[in-house]
Amino acid sequence: MPIMVRPEATPPRNSTPEADAAGPTHSPEGVDLTLVRWMLSLTPLERLEVLQATLWSIRRLRGEAAEV
Amino acid sequence: MVKQPRCDFLEILRVLRARDVDFIVVGGVSGVLHGAPITTIDLDLVHSRTDANIERLLLALADLDAFGRGRSDQRRRPDRSHLQSPGHQLLMTKHGPLDLVGEVQNGRGYDDLLAHAVDFVLGPLSIRVIDLDTLIDLKEKTGREKDRAVIAVLKRTRDEIRTGRKR
Repeated sequence: MPIMVRPEATPPRNSTPEADAAGPTHSPEGVDLTLVRWMLSLTPLERLEVLQATLWSIRRLRGEAAEV
Repeated sequence: MVKQPRCDFLEILRVLRARDVDFIVVGGVSGVLHGAPITTIDLDLVHSRTDANIERLLLALADLDAFGRGRSDQRRRPDRSHLQSPGHQLLMTKHGPLDLVGEVQNGRGYDDLLAHAVDFVLGPLSIRVIDLDTLIDLKEKTGREKDRAVIAVLKRTRDEIRTGRKR
């Protein structure tokens, strides 16, 4: 079965990164831990979709990709 | 403007699995699959270099319209000798960039990395992915400037995974 990946795929609304009141939002070297926790809340398939959607979004911003 | 392929790593993986190609996902995409919030443009794979697997890989690369990157005047197709070598094959496919790696640091090929790979299920696909500890180790051994920031993110991701398991 072909896999359909939506370029506009975004994570569900309820998985928007949020600062964890119980922990720091950034590591001492500057890593955004809220993004780490958000990605870990997703399935591997959703993580790959986020990556692909990010690349597609950047290309759209650069004018290299047409609207779909 | 030259039309560029849309990056669709899932479709590349699907084509490779449809041809029963043996490979391990390494590099940035493997970090993303483990949960690291990093971005990468290409899909890096270490492939098995047995004769049978290279035959299957050649069929998959034909399905993907793969050709060597960096030579805009020529569309050089990868051949058997390229895929048998320990080096890197930098390819462009109709679904985006694909780097095939014969061996990573210290001459470690597919068979050596199998013990350090984990299975990931992506919908109907099951693929082998280098484990997070080994990915960090490989990136540290390259010593490249571009990997330093990524290593920090990978290590924090590993810490978060371990912390989550303790909760």
